[in-house]
Amino acid sequence: MTTVKDNKEILSEANNSLLNHILKTIKEKNPRHGKKITKNLENIGDEYYKKSAEFFNKYALFVKGEGKDVDYGVDCYLKMIGIMMYEQVDFFRTGEYSCKSFEEANKAVYSNPEVMESYMHGLLLSQFLWNHHYKVLEFFIEQINSVKGQVNKYLEIGGGHGLYLSEAMEILGTNDIDYHCVDISAGSLEVAKKFVDNPKVSYRQYNIFDYDEAEKYDFITMGEVLEHVEDPVALLEKLGSLLKPDGMTFITTPTNSPAIDHIYLFRNAPEIIEVIHKAGFEIVKDFKIYSEDVSEKRAEKLKVPMMYAALIKKK
Amino acid sequence: MTVQDVLSQFNEIFIDVLDDEDIKLNLETTADDVEEWDSLSHIQLIVAIENKYDIRFTASEMESYRNVGEMCNGILNKLAAKV
Ligand SMILES: C[S@@+](CC[C@H](N)C(=O)[O-])C[C@H]1O[C@@H](n2cnc3c(N)ncnc32)[C@H](O)[C@@H]1O
Repeated sequence: MTTVKDNKEILSEANNSLLNHILKTIKEKNPRHGKKITKNLENIGDEYYKKSAEFFNKYALFVKGEGKDVDYGVDCYLKMIGIMMYEQVDFFRTGEYSCKSFEEANKAVYSNPEVMESYMHGLLLSQFLWNHHYKVLEFFIEQINSVKGQVNKYLEIGGGHGLYLSEAMEILGTNDIDYHCVDISAGSLEVAKKFVDNPKVSYRQYNIFDYDEAEKYDFITMGEVLEHVEDPVALLEKLGSLLKPDGMTFITTPTNSPAIDHIYLFRNAPEIIEVIHKAGFEIVKDFKIYSEDVSEKRAEKLKVPMMYAALIKKK
Repeated sequence: MTVQDVLSQFNEIFIDVLDDEDIKLNLETTADDVEEWDSLSHIQLIVAIENKYDIRFTASEMESYRNVGEMCNGILNKLAAKV
């Protein structure tokens, strides 16, 4: 007799093999880090297993097209974690981010295709390996669903690996919607183009401060870019100038999160909210999550990174 | 200062950083024995230790320590090199 498996079962099996393989490799190569992410993924909910199964399968196909396998992504991820560790040490010692200017980040990171490609693969995997990244993605999906049917022109700024764009396109569809993706880095655009794998997107290589468009956008997504600039208020004002009067924007940015290309240090959520208000926006809905499962008091004392995400619109 | 002195000072640092009064370190303790000791708290511990003894670890030292005893001896070597 043949057993018929339902979709979910098949998915969760496929997922288990890839996710388990990835977690096992990470634990072997960086035990303390493996311990941390595995602990953080406990109690994440059933939906995660379905969604991450789809993601890891899509990722495996994507790297296969490049003549690589999932272990390449894991290597990129671990490389990123190694670099982040040095930045973290420096941050705990000095209380500041080590990178001081956009020029420095541009030279060392964005304009270097090899560095950037590896970084984006690592960051892409983190979206499903870090509890807090996954929860922010869920929040994004909820917000995109809430504007379904109202978007004709969509922009993503600093799309990086392309995951957010790909999720938005799945929800909003591709009929009669223009999708644009602007990123300063050729390496990022390359990764996004291949991961999203949809000819409907127009990819444009610009520093967002130099970008303009005659017909404005209904929706702009900008994940983890605000901390990459010297003047986040100016960046949000730029974003405001690209938006239709009743357009909406989704942004994310972390606090206390050292990385080679992070410049602007937000110490807590109120500092981010102040920047949003200063740039002429109001918050429709927001969401905060620490990278570790600790109390707010401990998180503040130990400077545990937090992700802040918000749907905002012009005042 | 002896290894035992460093060990008992470490114990206080671990209790403070990891927020767990029940931590009882010995020289063989590893991250597997202490639930809250993971990659982020490892760095917080390292920097707390650096500040306490006014020393600096190199990146490879931070990654190489496998148990508390190796960390204690690392400190003693650094303090000896200072005088
Ligand atoms: C940390 S990644 C974020 C990727 C993705 N949006 C996410 O949330 O995971 C930041 C991206 O922003 C891009 N970027 C940084 N500064 C930029 C600028 N001034 N103009 C356009 N893109 C920029 C980088 O090249 C990179 O691809």
